[in-house]
Amino acid sequence: MPIRNFSIIAHIDHGKSTLADRLLQATRAVSDREAREQLLDSMDLERERGITIKASAVTVSHHCDGQDYQLNFIDTPGHVDFTYEVSRALTACEGAVLVVDSTQGVEAQTVANAYLAIGSDLDLIPVVNKIDLPAADPDRVAMEIESVLGLPAEDCIYCSAKTGQGIAELLDAICRMLPDPRPATINETRALIFDSHYDEYRGVIVYVRVFDGALKIGDRIRMMGTGTTWTITELGINTPQPQKVTQIGTSEVGYLVASIKTLEDVRVGDTITLDKYPASEALPGYEEPQQMVFCDFYPATAAAESSKKSDFEALREAIEKLRLNDASFTYEVQHSEALGFGFRCGFLGLLHMEIVQERLEREGGVEIVQTAPTVTYQVLTIDDEVVEIHNPADLPDPAQIKEIREPLVKIEIICPDDNIGDMMSLCDSRRGVFQSQQFISEGRQMLVFEIPLAEIIYDFYDKLKSITRGYGTMDYEITEFRADSLAKVSILVNGAPVEALSLICHRENAEKRGRSMLLKLRKQIDRHQFEIALQAAIGGKIIARETVKAVRKNVTAKCYGGDITRKRKLLEKQKAGKKRMKSVGSVQIPQEAFLSILDQSE
Amino acid sequence: MAMPQFDHSTASLPQLAETPSTAESILRGLQDAGTCIQGAYVHVPFCMHRCHYCDFFTVAGRDQWRSAYVTRLLDEATVVAQHWPGPADTLFVGGGTPTWLEPPDLARLLEGLAACSLLGKGGEWTVEANPETVTEEVAGILAGAGVNRVSLGAQSFRTEALKALERWHDPDSVPRALAFLRDAGIQDCSLDLIFAVPDGGDAVSGWTSDLKRAVSLAPTHLSCYGLTYEPGTPLRRRLESGAVTQVDQDIEAVLYATTQSVLADHGYTQYEISNWAQGDQVCDHNLNYWRNANWWPLGPSGSGHVNGTRWRNRPRLGPYLEGQGLSEIDTVEVLDADGRAGEVLMLGLRCTRGIERQKVIAATSLPMRGQQRAAAIERHLESGLLVWDDDLLRLTQAGMLLGDTVLVDLL
Ligand SMILES: Nc1nc2c(ncn2[C@@H]2O[C@H](COP(=O)(O)OP(=O)(O)OP(=O)(O)O)[C@@H](O)[C@H]2O)c(=O)[nH]1
Ligand code: SF4
Ligand SMILES: [Mg+2]
Repeated sequence: MPIRNFSIIAHIDHGKSTLADRLLQATRAVSDREAREQLLDSMDLERERGITIKASAVTVSHHCDGQDYQLNFIDTPGHVDFTYEVSRALTACEGAVLVVDSTQGVEAQTVANAYLAIGSDLDLIPVVNKIDLPAADPDRVAMEIESVLGLPAEDCIYCSAKTGQGIAELLDAICRMLPDPRPATINETRALIFDSHYDEYRGVIVYVRVFDGALKIGDRIRMMGTGTTWTITELGINTPQPQKVTQIGTSEVGYLVASIKTLEDVRVGDTITLDKYPASEALPGYEEPQQMVFCDFYPATAAAESSKKSDFEALREAIEKLRLNDASFTYEVQHSEALGFGFRCGFLGLLHMEIVQERLEREGGVEIVQTAPTVTYQVLTIDDEVVEIHNPADLPDPAQIKEIREPLVKIEIICPDDNIGDMMSLCDSRRGVFQSQQFISEGRQMLVFEIPLAEIIYDFYDKLKSITRGYGTMDYEITEFRADSLAKVSILVNGAPVEALSLICHRENAEKRGRSMLLKLRKQIDRHQFEIALQAAIGGKIIARETVKAVRKNVTAKCYGGDITRKRKLLEKQKAGKKRMKSVGSVQIPQEAFLSILDQSE
Repeated sequence: MAMPQFDHSTASLPQLAETPSTAESILRGLQDAGTCIQGAYVHVPFCMHRCHYCDFFTVAGRDQWRSAYVTRLLDEATVVAQHWPGPADTLFVGGGTPTWLEPPDLARLLEGLAACSLLGKGGEWTVEANPETVTEEVAGILAGAGVNRVSLGAQSFRTEALKALERWHDPDSVPRALAFLRDAGIQDCSLDLIFAVPDGGDAVSGWTSDLKRAVSLAPTHLSCYGLTYEPGTPLRRRLESGAVTQVDQDIEAVLYATTQSVLADHGYTQYEISNWAQGDQVCDHNLNYWRNANWWPLGPSGSGHVNGTRWRNRPRLGPYLEGQGLSEIDTVEVLDADGRAGEVLMLGLRCTRGIERQKVIAATSLPMRGQQRAAAIERHLESGLLVWDDDLLRLTQAGMLLGDTVLVDLL
């Protein structure tokens, strides 16, 4: 039976998951009765937010031109943070269905994902989706696809993932247009790991695409990268219900179970071969994702002084458990004078960070205080050593530093013509350097800038959305680390530096950033019995100063009417409020203060 | 009224056995324990208009129920009287605005209460009143029933401040009310005043003029409160929405210091954070609260305390009017020794006299929070918010303004 392996890729919300549902329904993989919204989005969070976070692979069959085809396809996430999920899915395929919303047109991730697929030598089938909507303009969108991506407009398939219109045509096109998988090139077995996830009962489930030979139950397999060996106890395909099989042959996609206990034992991109007849060369691999955004998670309840071990341990357990299902974030124990024990975590991007926090709180039942996110910096020391730091607090002594390098990204922004001026000044204010401009279609342009990652991780996306009233989209990729005039701004509270509040920024902005930070702090710190000096400093030099005045009055004026219980409870509330403070010397700082560092808004 | 001489130290009183859930069980326990009651509070929730800063249980626009309410209250008073352990020292009729009752209803209420003999001979009987409601007739009714103290809600003598408080009375109604009361024979009159009202004017000069006007009327007692933005009040919402700007706390501190010096200059002695009296004419009823004495509440929303059991009557008018006998209880709280010790400190330190050393020792030697309290007391002695005056621990001048900062640590 001929096989077609393909991914469904698109900009976020253009309808990948919905289209996947229609494909399942049209191929009778699920009955009409079973068909529910976004079948392949299985996490609660995915369903609630209506976005796909993890890719998932299914196998169905379709009859076309007198023969049955086996279709293996992977629904992918559309958000920029999860590009790595898309690229690992692409390694298992020969083709991709590129979905574009006919009411929106080509967007930033449309371009990014299409180029990702073209770069991996995949054949593309462009699909113009949501043609059932009154605002649909499929011809214009098809022209955009042609002019931006170079895919002929006449090849576009118009469909509606909602009504099912065009789905049969798409299925036929997949069978006719996408290439056969390449035949085996060697006799030994080689399978590429493109995904894995953790199952409480069976351990790690490994998703593989077999390129050469076959995998059978009972096979002793070897991971070529890590050198570990395992015995296959179960093989299967998702239809989308898991269905056990006895073997996965050349060009096929499926999963295997082999009593693997932790995700750490499985490297996505690694090649599986047979222990007895190993291949000599691994398949071209896939690179592990890089964590680019870092922040600290602390248990919300424990005060630094009374740091209950259990809150920290509960957080650790929740993190370890989540790691089983998401190997793309990193964590290490962190101790902050102000916030006690917690974890420094690395993420693929801001949405990823948000999702991890939400999953920890929801699935792990812990409450988290999260510090403001920062990026990775490279520090070149006077000994010509390069140190990577994920936390301004870890910056070496200024005397030891030759230069500080920060990550730069190439950012592509697609927006309406009217907003170009505003987007230009936004990027300019964020140290962006204009690179090019490209016509997308009547009224829309793509702008390309080089900009420091640190300048876009916090509120850039929100700004973009508000400037373009929701119409603008962006995508970025890291290009390099480059030295600039960067400095660590320390925040001192009554003379004592508070590391958790320090930040790294460009010298030109240091004073402004320091001052706005102090103003925010001033609002958040309650008046104490004494005056509190807040200072921002670079090295020993004070660049900004604010004062929290001493408290002059804190008394319940009226304490009669006899409702003593209520008065006492109000006081007890004041007292409980104190617990959620972190003491720095004799100053109580509310936990929220630690979160607002990067918020550049006034 | 003389400072009561008896010691209300509740430690010597027997504890109630179980958590009581109804007023009946509390009353019964009270009789069994042979406990005495020092005060009674009667709540009258009706007001002409609901002021936007007020968080008491009051109703406006329900005037048609006033008469039935008096009947209902007297029914409750009769039941309470049957179990009453002995004459109390104080009786306080508060609200709301008790004098907003129609004169015949007011007379019926006061005479009925007098007939129940909750109050002992020579005891302090206070009624709260708004100045504009005190007519010659009302003053006569009060005096005739045996009321010997009236607390007048003057709040301010300046129209702009009264407006900002949503009080509509004419400032001149205060001296008029005082004259009626004194003519009727009630000499012991108190004025309530509020400072730090966001009225747009100069806070210090405005408040100084209020104080001057107040002392010129020679009340025997003054209560001066900094305006509080109580949660759930319309005023608080206005503060949060930015429609109202709070007077800066630095200025409020000045206003408070001004109050202390002006009133001292005019012969008033401060005896509590917000209360001043001429000579010994303190409000014994309020002192009962601060000394952790026992008192009984009648009417919805009234709060009571007997030997460490605190409760609050259900603050609903309709169900109260439909019911009979004792008020339905909303919440009850029985504090353990530690909790009670915390309250002794929280309440006692509000009085300028302070707390006796042996009570402080008792509170700091309890196993649970004793040590914490001892450390906090040391800390606040050091920072100058607390001071030992021979065998009395009290808040200093600075400590008065930061009372909650200290009390929070002593709970
Ligand atoms: N009217 C209409 N709505 C559609 C169509 N396809 C998808 N939608 C709706 O568009 C929204 C987004 O669809 P999804 O399938 O979740 O999009 P996605 O591309 O998987 O999104 P991510 O996984 O978050 O990148 C949902 O509300 C769908 O119901 C269509 O053809 N017509
Ligand atoms: S008159 Fe007094 S009790 Fe009535 S609403 Fe106004 S402040 Fe409250
Ligand atoms: Mg999706």
